[in-house]
Amino acid sequence: MSAGEDIVVLGGGLTRFARERSDGTPIDWMVEAALDGIRDAGVDPAEIEHSLVAYESEILARQLSMGQVIQDALAFCPRPSIRVEAGGGTGGAAIRTAYAYVKSGLCDSILVVGCDAVGRGVTSATVREVYALSGDVDFEMAAGGFFMAYYALMMQEHIRLYGTTEEQMAHVSVKNHRNAQSNPMACMPMAITIDDVLNSPPVVAPYKRLDCAVLADGASSLVIATESWARQHASSWRDRPRVYLTGVGCGTDRVRLGDRPKPYPGLAHFRAKKEAAQMAYRMAGIENPRQDLDVAEVADTYTGAELQAYEDLGFCDYGQSGPLTERGVFDLGGELPTNTSGGLIGQGAPPGAMGLAQAVEVLKQLRGECPKERQVEGARRGLTDIHGGTASFSVVSILERRD
Amino acid sequence: MTDLVKHKLDVIENADPFGRSGIDDPWHAFRNVERLDMELHFQFKHSLGKVSPFFLALEEKRLLATRCPECGKVWMPPRVHCGDDLAITDWVEVAGTGILEASSLSAYTLTTGGGKDTLILGYVTLEGTDTAMLQQIRNCQDPGKLVPGTVMTVKWATEPVDHPMQLFWFELAD
Ligand SMILES: [Zn+2]
Repeated sequence: MSAGEDIVVLGGGLTRFARERSDGTPIDWMVEAALDGIRDAGVDPAEIEHSLVAYESEILARQLSMGQVIQDALAFCPRPSIRVEAGGGTGGAAIRTAYAYVKSGLCDSILVVGCDAVGRGVTSATVREVYALSGDVDFEMAAGGFFMAYYALMMQEHIRLYGTTEEQMAHVSVKNHRNAQSNPMACMPMAITIDDVLNSPPVVAPYKRLDCAVLADGASSLVIATESWARQHASSWRDRPRVYLTGVGCGTDRVRLGDRPKPYPGLAHFRAKKEAAQMAYRMAGIENPRQDLDVAEVADTYTGAELQAYEDLGFCDYGQSGPLTERGVFDLGGELPTNTSGGLIGQGAPPGAMGLAQAVEVLKQLRGECPKERQVEGARRGLTDIHGGTASFSVVSILERRD
Repeated sequence: MTDLVKHKLDVIENADPFGRSGIDDPWHAFRNVERLDMELHFQFKHSLGKVSPFFLALEEKRLLATRCPECGKVWMPPRVHCGDDLAITDWVEVAGTGILEASSLSAYTLTTGGGKDTLILGYVTLEGTDTAMLQQIRNCQDPGKLVPGTVMTVKWATEPVDHPMQLFWFELAD
């Protein structure tokens, strides 16, 4: 056990994200993703010291204590394990918890595996109702509130404050669906236009169907370890670019939007995200995120949420996310390509898997292993941003390549 | 397919999600998948807890907020501890008018989608309170009139409802 060492992301794995994965159970997908990550790390699974299982809703998976079930399925018994949950931010919480476990010396290596089963195996009304339980239940849910509406209300305020347009929001949808086209794991690869988004059926104003990430089935994994464990145990250590986890920040905000302080964050801003980002930037020594980062996976539950995120992550000034997006700053080939995987909109949004999947994408970007259509040339430093609720809980992580 | 299993939904021959087929598919012997129709029922005796006087007062067409004795902030929805300094709050009755902060027209509800039912939700800061409350906005023929800053007024249900929060909603003030 060696506390305080630098922390390495040794491997990342995915299974196919899809609207319905009736070909297997959530346990099956998790094993697929875990084995893919272990293979990618080049380690013997019998030597990994710990596991961490990330999922939001055991009810929707019809399996409680999934951490214990997956431990069994992966032949990890009797080694230690922990389950982590933070709503949509579960994957971020998992990365930060794994960092703490290896940094503290509690273990030197950990397999992180996440999933959720929210595709068509369960009705979308059931998912909406169960997820509404993750916000304010007795006042807001009882008044008819649900998460799509909360995000829509935030964006109405962003539009009022800054004149953000539905075309600018649509640009995010076009970009993320387009990026997903070179991602074989993605569930929504699409070549669409701004007009397609604007003309898609209304959901909750200002959002239309193509502004929204889709609920999906899927699983993902990471292998995280100390540098010395990686050197001793990973066949990938000698012949692959090395990627370190250099910043893990976390922030929170009040659950009800109406209780948040005014003018900041008010209804329109993600204070938790700003807190998490600044913490991660301090750890990683980042001063100007748009310059210092080469690639970013940003929480795009809705197109507008991605724009709001740019501002609180410090990629641009408040009110500038829309105009910069229209200018292509965040497209592939732009100054800071975002959601090269397709993001939640293009790749799919199983809560427990999506935050880890972001790190898998950044890891492959930094190693130069993405398909050429979406590879950001010479990427050295990347960010992941994921949150739960209306960013009542938020985690930002920084990954960095060191040769 | 027999009908010996009552909850059997269907049996489907799944394709490999990675597009492999035949013996190239490592799971070719595992592709025949049976699905079941399943339901899970929960029933609760759900306590509304210390804020219950708020919900009970709604039956008398009264709106109760809470005021912090330390900092003076008035919370609506009410909090039994001040959300800033944790002091135990006092009940205060507030008037049924307020200012619209934001609103959105939804083609979805908790249980329906695709425009079967529409719903307008809004945040309103009631007069004499310091926080905004989410509630439904009804009887608004023109959502374009729901501009932030507009005065809204509370209306009360006269027919029985399922949950106390359905006892009131907001409408545009005359
Ligand atoms: Zn107070």
